[in-house]
Amino acid sequence: MLNLNAVHKSRGLGSQRYSLVIPALQLRAGEQLAIVGPSGCGKSTLLDLLALVLAPDQVGSFEFNQQDIGGLWRADKQTALAELRSRHLGYVLQTGGLLGFLDVRGNIALSRQLLGLTDDGSVARLAEQLEIGDQLAKKPAALSVGQRQRVSCARALAHAPQLVLADEPTASLDPLNAERVMHALLAQAREHRAACVIATHDEPLARASGLQVRRISCRRDSDGGVTATLGEVC
Amino acid sequence: MRFPLVASLAWQDYRNDAWLSACSVLALVAVIAPLLVLFGLKFGLVSSLTERLETDPATREIIPLGGGRFSSGFVEQLGQRTDVAFALPRTRQIAATAQVGTLVLEMLPTAPGDPLLGRLPVPKGLGQIVLSHTAAEKLAARPGDWLETSFARQVAGRVEAQRTRLQVLAVLPLEAFARDGLFADLKLLEAAEDYRDGRAVPALGWDGEAVGVSEQRVYPAFRLYARNLTDVEPLRVYFAGQNLLVSTQAQTIAQVQSLSRNLSIVFWIIAGLALAGAFAAIFAGALAAVARKRRELSVLRLLGFSTGGLLVFVVLQALYSAAAAAVLSAGLYGLAEAALNKLFVQVAGEHASHLLARHYGLALAAVLGVSAVAATCGGWRVARIQASEGIRDV
Repeated sequence: MLNLNAVHKSRGLGSQRYSLVIPALQLRAGEQLAIVGPSGCGKSTLLDLLALVLAPDQVGSFEFNQQDIGGLWRADKQTALAELRSRHLGYVLQTGGLLGFLDVRGNIALSRQLLGLTDDGSVARLAEQLEIGDQLAKKPAALSVGQRQRVSCARALAHAPQLVLADEPTASLDPLNAERVMHALLAQAREHRAACVIATHDEPLARASGLQVRRISCRRDSDGGVTATLGEVC
Repeated sequence: MRFPLVASLAWQDYRNDAWLSACSVLALVAVIAPLLVLFGLKFGLVSSLTERLETDPATREIIPLGGGRFSSGFVEQLGQRTDVAFALPRTRQIAATAQVGTLVLEMLPTAPGDPLLGRLPVPKGLGQIVLSHTAAEKLAARPGDWLETSFARQVAGRVEAQRTRLQVLAVLPLEAFARDGLFADLKLLEAAEDYRDGRAVPALGWDGEAVGVSEQRVYPAFRLYARNLTDVEPLRVYFAGQNLLVSTQAQTIAQVQSLSRNLSIVFWIIAGLALAGAFAAIFAGALAAVARKRRELSVLRLLGFSTGGLLVFVVLQALYSAAAAAVLSAGLYGLAEAALNKLFVQVAGEHASHLLARHYGLALAAVLGVSAVAATCGGWRVARIQASEGIRDV
């Protein structure tokens, strides 16, 4: 479903240079992976690449849903990339990324509405499964941080994407809530057979949640720049 | 991108920011409402003056000065011109009088289409007349009354007179004709003229010299009315070209038209400045909206909104404000119009301030147009919002 080989992305020059190298990354449907590493190591850059919002500099191969992503970037097919994003990707953001002007039901349903899908009951079902069924009529501002993250999880899954990307989804939660949200997200992703890539600082939580873990390691090069490399599953 | 979904999301965000939305509406109302009042005053004042001129046929009358010699064919040709509403020969004024009791009445020829008569019945033949208001008052005559009318002449120093009975068909309103007079078929005026010239009038049984069959009548003047106010000046120029002096109200009409033109210039200068200010305000509002909503817009971008979709989102919110401001301004103008008309209008049916439905439509279209263009210019910064900003979301 997702297959990357020898993908490079660099930003800046000289001592300000930062390069991310992904030697190989394969994900099958339903697989769940945690990317861990210290702040600034390139977790977000990796997520941007996987989210199809950042163009890679060099590509050995980059396939998603049997589409040549490297080719789409080279041809600057922004519309096709946006279509892939909205149809096959789901996002769980650090503080939810919810739209304050929509209620919980509207936020969850939005990813379906953008695809022209009618509500088949999946919005209420997901909300029940994520224990926010009684919050559907509330605005995000009236929810706790944990509840907002659950709404974000529901929105990420509502349109049945193939790949769910989560950027520090539990960073702003207390340990108990972090564990509950992580478990809820992974359980729902499993149920929907969606692959998951989660960028997190919290390696123990990732391991405790049964995620494969891959570290990003950094080294300083002779020019003063930094090269980060995605390691193998450890 | 689904337009109804974008419109619905834009509306929900607009409602969620109720206070800011209300402020943007009020800012527009502050521009639109005074403009409507200003234009309403300009239009009301000018249209009242113009209407006053248009409803008074005398304004459109073209009176030949001095004695002329016009054939009925010439006057008929004048009547067929597109800029002429009515033309009819007149007999000599000195011969066009009739005496009813002690009252001497001026006689005027009339025919169907006479602007002075309007919808009143038109006298036909030698036995019907329409009386002026003052004459009817002095004679205590009403429609349907018969008046014993005499026509006098001097023959070799001897005064002679003939009488005939004339039926009053109708009485003219005072504003149509303020002198003592009667309106009759041209035949009656020709009969009076013939009698006074010593000729016989067989139709009325009046004796005199026999009229030659081949003799063509020549008229010294005519009654002529232009079709519209704007036709008066061209007709004056036409008659001047024919070396015929005429008296018109062209100067009065020109004054009103000049007033209308000058007020229009003043209005458009003020409107231009105000619209430029409104454009700047909407432009700045759209810029601020994009900056303020950057997080939401970047999330929408991440979820699949195109640049066009985001731009429509911003522009629609400006249009919601514009539509609300236009409706509110129209309501405020309605109140101002009622107050101004109550304060300043002295003649029923006239307006100090007045707008037509098409003016409201034009104002709405202008406000929506300016808002859409200004919001598009200001909102174009959405193109710089990257989907990756949505992922950061901190």
